[in-house]
Amino acid sequence: MTPSDARLPILAGVAVIAGQAAALFAPPDQVQGELVRLMYVHVPAAWVAYLSFAITLGASGSWLWRRGPGADRVAAASAELGVFFTGLAITLGSIWGKPTWGVWWTWDPRLVTTALMFFVYLGYLALRRAIVDPVARARRCAVFGVAAFAQVPVVHMSVLWWRTLHQPPTILRPGDPTIDHAMLAALLINLVAFTLVFAVLLRARVRLAAAEDALEAAADARGRELAGDAVSAPKLAGFGV
Amino acid sequence: MSRYRLLFVAGLGVAAVLLGLLFFGNLNRNLVYYLTPAEAVAQRADFGAGQRLQIGGYVEPGSVVRTADGLRFIVAAGIAPGSATVAVRHTGAPAQLFRAGIGVVLEGSWRGDVFVSDTMLVKHDANYRAPGKQAGPAG
Repeated sequence: MTPSDARLPILAGVAVIAGQAAALFAPPDQVQGELVRLMYVHVPAAWVAYLSFAITLGASGSWLWRRGPGADRVAAASAELGVFFTGLAITLGSIWGKPTWGVWWTWDPRLVTTALMFFVYLGYLALRRAIVDPVARARRCAVFGVAAFAQVPVVHMSVLWWRTLHQPPTILRPGDPTIDHAMLAALLINLVAFTLVFAVLLRARVRLAAAEDALEAAADARGRELAGDAVSAPKLAGFGV
Repeated sequence: MSRYRLLFVAGLGVAAVLLGLLFFGNLNRNLVYYLTPAEAVAQRADFGAGQRLQIGGYVEPGSVVRTADGLRFIVAAGIAPGSATVAVRHTGAPAQLFRAGIGVVLEGSWRGDVFVSDTMLVKHDANYRAPGKQAGPAG
């Protein structure tokens, strides 16, 4: 890691500290009281999940177009992070839902579509492990990565298309966001902080994948040289050889 | 290759039919998360005794009465006067954020004209306001 590589994690750390401080100093909500502070982690987790699936979509499309192995690694790394942040958003939402709604889970369209998205991308990760050949794996996963993104807008719009218990969007809607501006500032700082943490993790995961690929390629090359004379058919007694 | 393509097209067709059914099919009875008070009243005859359904609406201010084992109140479709209402008898403790004017989703069944509920979910809206400031338009 070069000194310039350390800049991103330091920036992310500062942003996380600023975000948590802003979340603690923001005013409580009129109806929800202190419980509203869960918004500052739940909403960014969901946003980063959308972002990572969008990056998987872009990298998958790029692989189908240019066939660069780097794009496949980015798609895979981003999908892994997307699954993690989707799980985090569901968990934090559940923790927020229990005191506000009164239940940990309900069969609300937003919750169901989010859970579906979680399991479909788990399927993407399973598919990656099921195929040995790197090119076949990259091709099938790229198609999966493009097709699976169709559900992300469905998850986001679910609160508008169907009747839900989950509240509709506050910020991504036409007109002035229906949120106190001190709360909005805290939320935006946390959105930036989560995005930076995501960038740090994505970069580390892509580098790890590239190192793994290089190691595998080196092992393959060495293996081909060593095989040949070193391997011979077993000589068995009793066959008259 | 052609068999693979055939499978792919067939799978795509099945997925399209399922999605179409989900979006446009008349599965409302099971897909709608809750009924509005007006719908619930209109469809009351369709629901047999003890058949469970969910109703969503706003707690009408001034209608909440505490009883020995729960609450009695009226759920209205909206804040505006003259909207459809349903009288509710709820057994059990109210949800933490329960108050007059807040959105609720109730699960229970019809008993005559009264909706008897045993599960209450509070539906908070997407407005976030600091205490002491003017609340935004409810809705």
